[in-house]
Parts: sequence; structure tokens; C-alpha cells
Amino acid sequence: MQVNKPENFNQNVSKALAQSDLKKIIRRTTDKAESKRSEAVANFPEFENARTQGQKVKDHTIKYMDHYLAEFEKNALAQGTIVHWASTGEEASKIVLAICRQHKAKKVTRSKSMLGEEIGLTHAFDNSEMERIETDLAEHIIQLAGDPPSHIVWPAMHRSREDVVKLFREFHTDPTYSEEITDLVRSARRDLRNKFLTSDIGISGSNFLLADSGSSCTVTNEGNAELTITPPKVHIVTAGIEKLVPSMAHAIPLLRLLTRSATGAEITQYITFHNGPKRTNDADGPEETHIVLVDNGRTKMLAEGMEEMLRCIRCGACMNHCVVYKHIGGHAYGSVYPGPMGSVLTPHLNSLEVANKQTHACTMNGRCEDVCPVNIPLPKLLRSLRAQSWQKKYEPLTNRYVVKSFAMMAKRPKLFQLLSSCGVIFMKMFSRKGWISYMPFTSGWTRNRDLIEPESTTFMHQYKKMKKAETTKSGGA
Amino acid sequence: MNKEQNELSREKIFSAIKAAKPTIKMDVNTIQEEALELLKESKFARPKLLSEDATQALLLRIEAGLVIGTSCEKLTSLDDLPKSVNQFFSKHSLPQELKVQSIDKLEKLNWEGISTDSDIQQDNTVGLCWAEYGVAETGSFVVHSSPDMPILLNFLPLYLIAVIPKSKILHYMDDYALIANEIAKKAETPRNMCLISGVSGTTDIEGVLVQGAHGPEILHIIIVEDQ
Repeated sequence: MQVNKPENFNQNVSKALAQSDLKKIIRRTTDKAESKRSEAVANFPEFENARTQGQKVKDHTIKYMDHYLAEFEKNALAQGTIVHWASTGEEASKIVLAICRQHKAKKVTRSKSMLGEEIGLTHAFDNSEMERIETDLAEHIIQLAGDPPSHIVWPAMHRSREDVVKLFREFHTDPTYSEEITDLVRSARRDLRNKFLTSDIGISGSNFLLADSGSSCTVTNEGNAELTITPPKVHIVTAGIEKLVPSMAHAIPLLRLLTRSATGAEITQYITFHNGPKRTNDADGPEETHIVLVDNGRTKMLAEGMEEMLRCIRCGACMNHCVVYKHIGGHAYGSVYPGPMGSVLTPHLNSLEVANKQTHACTMNGRCEDVCPVNIPLPKLLRSLRAQSWQKKYEPLTNRYVVKSFAMMAKRPKLFQLLSSCGVIFMKMFSRKGWISYMPFTSGWTRNRDLIEPESTTFMHQYKKMKKAETTKSGGA
Repeated sequence: MNKEQNELSREKIFSAIKAAKPTIKMDVNTIQEEALELLKESKFARPKLLSEDATQALLLRIEAGLVIGTSCEKLTSLDDLPKSVNQFFSKHSLPQELKVQSIDKLEKLNWEGISTDSDIQQDNTVGLCWAEYGVAETGSFVVHSSPDMPILLNFLPLYLIAVIPKSKILHYMDDYALIANEIAKKAETPRNMCLISGVSGTTDIEGVLVQGAHGPEILHIIIVEDQ
């Protein structure tokens, strides 16, 4: 599959909208996630209190980030973990590959981590002499398909069961010939089992970094993180510096919020705290542990007044509830992080010049903010990025002229009303049975869907008529 | 690894944070007090349990089907464990083979008729482990890695039985965090602390839930009265 680029957002969207089944496939998962989240929140009357507490924990850690980073480093070193620092994604990838080469690794297992994708780790391995094995089922599917992830929780949601059948038959050593989903999962289990046990290095991300102990915490439903980390001799964690919390007790309120917001479950099946390398005589576990702490634009967000985005715990609720994401899916964003959170993150991880169009792909309905477990004001952050984009003149000239023309007309009410009335008449000329399937200057809309016919008169005309009727009525009384 | 580059990146990150927030005072006591203050909110921000009694709350949670793929029973004596395990074999039509955690209290039981060992490399086997704690809030059991607790015992078998001593069942995850903190103060923190709440599952193909993705498909929790 060709990987989309963020700067080609408009073309990516057109491509996505032209895929007739895509919307149905996306909604199958996101609608279920949406209803299960609502159920989970309804069964947890203290959810709002938890949300406030979660937000405060993140804000506190961000406020004292340098203190907690230094604490984390000190305690991780004391546990025997080797700590690395990376300013950029490229640096982080190089560090991981260097550790693997130092150990002459041939086979590397990796449990799902969006940060790994963000820093380009998957590509770095694919261009190396080492074999990368993705162990999360969804990541396993997209690795076989050669796709980028399309969602941060369900990276393979764009792939149907039929796609998976074909992929597993082609790539698994002992594939199933059944098309039952249970049998497909068993096929992956068989295929990955030996790979888990013979891997040289296990790589994971981290949901939380505990400053007071230097520990990292992984959260999964499949249990693939523990199977990735335990058998190999070396464990490497890659984590963004915003994953810090003061202690395990501070991670717990966030754990309560994370799963409910992501999948609607009350808790994930596996929460594991990793506290350095294997102790003397331990029955299993890695002998050497590394952690790579990654900045890659996070301190820039802090400097540019975007620190609220650093609260994000990567639950994906914002994209599950986003009307734009549900129409275009994750690949159209051309970034590891799609949807509302991605539209704020990508301009910082990449650049606003490259990813400014994503900030406009928002109806400002505010649903993302309503469901965010740590109260990130996503619409406000998107508006702020739009303003920056305008000031830096990143908008195409046509857009700038349209907005300037609108501003000019909006300051002249009579001209505005006249042109609005003409617009209504013009639109009605192209209407058939209440819908417009073609009209000049609107191909961006009508290429993939019809435009609804406007009311017979303008809003102002109707408003004046209503006011006049009210005056007549009260005068008569 | 390039030490110089590492130091340079570290410095760069810390300088960028300091430059972004020049007004924040770094008084450690204040930071700690603020952090502790945040935890006081936990009692208003956690779900109500199904019973005030932690054991009962955990049992009710599992019986209500809220812990995926999990069943539960209570035993008054640990001596009855082999009988329970045999019933588990019958219920799931399994061969009488068991991978048992290598600890005295489990090994010394009368396993007559059941083949036991601690080799856990194969699939399609039943594992038996001794949990350190239970958590009523989430229906979890907790295991700590150690010389006699291979973490893989909890992840490789398709069927898993976890024994939780009744006195070690905690109400909330927060209670476990306090215990973990005490363990850390004694410098006895294990390499891994795993909170396991149900079986290995996935919804990655068309959103359909399948149990036994990589780890256990069926989990049976046995709560034993303390001896």
C-alpha cells in the first residue's frame, strides 16, 4: 500500500472518499467503541471526578517535567536500566538499532507502540539486516499487508476479514483454511508463538513512566507485551517524555480512564510494571533493559503554549467520535496520529507548513473535547493552529482570497444579503428533488456526495419576516 | 552508544523545558506535597464495588461476567485444590496434565492422577499459579516475578488457574499501589508486577472479540481461606 503524505491531505481525502466500503468498515469499529464508552461512563458515576483528577495528575507532571524526568532517570539507573535521550525521532531510531546491533540481534519482536511508528522505527528495521516481528495482532496484520496504522487503538481496522484470510494464507507457515475469525486468531497465535520464544530483543512502548521508581508500565488486552519482553535477553522501551507520572498511585486514575475511553472496557486484561532487568535467579526475564526517552517536538509544544496536548493518554476516543475521521479514516491524515489529536500533534512532530490542512478538517462540534478523558481542549488548540497557519501564510492563495472576500462582504450587510439571495437562486437552478449533484465551483463537495438544496429564501429574509409577524401580532393584541 | 550525543540530547531536552517554563520554582517539598494532594481525590474518583467485602466484591464481579473469560470458586482448604483442578479438567475435557508453579505449598499437595511439571514451553496446557494479591475493583490477580514465579507461566498456557489467598484480596488498585510502595521502600521491588484481569483477548478483526489471542483463553480463579 502506498503511504500517504500529510502535505497531500486533499488528495488523500479524495482517495478515501472514493472507497465505497471504507466508511462502513470504519464505522463498524468506531460506532461500537462509541456506544461501549457511553455505557462504561454511565456505569461509572464518578467518571467526571476521575477525569478531573486525571487532568490534574497530567498537568502537575507537565508543570514539573524537568524534576520528574530527572527523578525518573535517577531511579531507572538505580534499577539497572540504561537510560538514553533522543531529541528527535531519527536519533531515537538510531539508538534502538545500535543497541540491537551491539547484541548482534537477528530477530526483534515489538509490541504495539505508536511512538515506535512516530520515530520511524518500523522503517528503520525494514531497511536493516534484522527481522522485525510485530506481535500485536493488528500490527501483525498491517505488517503483512505493508500498511501504515489507521487508528491508534485498532491499527488494522481498515482491513476486512477477507483481507486477513488472504494475508494469513500467504504468510503463515501453518495457515488456517477457515474464514472464522476465531480460527484466524489461532493461526496468528501459532505463527507468532515460536517467534516470541526465539527473539533476540523485545521492544515495547510505555503507557506510563513512573518517576519515583524508574519503572515503565505497559497496558494490553492480548498479553503480547509480556510475551515480547520476557523471553529475549534484552528489553528496549521507547517512550515520549510526556508519559511521565509521579508514581504508580498517580497512574491508577489514568488507568481507570484509559480503557473506558478507548474500548469501553473497565480495565485492560494486562497491566504490567517493568522494573529493570532480571533479578539474580529470577525464573525468566531480560538480562539487560534500556529506555529511550524521546522529545521529538514535545518540548516545542511546551514552548508554544500547547502543553494541554501533552496530557494525551492515547485512548483514541477523540477519533472514535469525530465525524471527519469516520468519513475519511486514518490513512487520509498521512500521519501516525489521525483524527483530532493527530491534527494537533502532527504539526508539531512534522511541521505546520506540511500538516496545516488537517487543522481545517474539523467541524468544531466539540465532541472530541467532550469525550477526552483528560479534558484536552482540542477545538481550541486546532483554532490556535489555524490562526498560526493564517499568520504564516500557509493557506493556499485561493483560500486566502475567499476568506478575505467573505470578510469584506460580511462588513457590508446589504451587499452580503444581495449576494446571498443570488446564491440561493443560483443553487436552486441545479437542484433535483432536493439535492444538488453538480454545481460549478463546488466539485470538492459534489465529487463524493450531494449537496442539500437550500431553503427558498435566505436566513436574513426569514428572520425579518418572522420579526415582522411578531410585531404585527403584538400590535394587534 | 554515543555517550557524547546522549549527553547533548539530554541537555537539549532539559534546556528546552526550562526555557519553556522559566517561572516554575523547583522546590522538591512543594512538588511532593502537590503530588500527594492529588491522591486525596482518588476516593471520590473510583467506582463503587459490588460489595463492601473485598472477597465478595471480587466474586460478584466475576460471576456477573465482568471479567472476560473468567470463572471463580472459593475453597476452605488448600488441600481441596487438586479436586478442583480435576473438576476443571473434566469441565473443559482436558488431559490431566498441569504446569504448576514450583513452590512448596503447591508442590506438596496430593496431585495423584494428575501429571505435574513446571515446563511451560508448550501450548494447549493448563497452568497453575499462586497470586500475590487479588483486586476486587478490577477482578484482577497480581503476580510478581521471582525465582519461583516465571512470568511466562501466566501467558503461555491456553488455560490458567490462579489461586488467591483470601487475606490478600484488596479493595482497589490504589491499595495495591500502597503495597508496591512499601515493597519499594524495602528495596524488594520485583522485576515485573502484573495485574491480570481476565484472559488474553483481541477485537482486531472486524471488532469481534476472540479469547486466547496469545495467552490464556480460559481463566479460573480459586480463592482459598488462609491456612
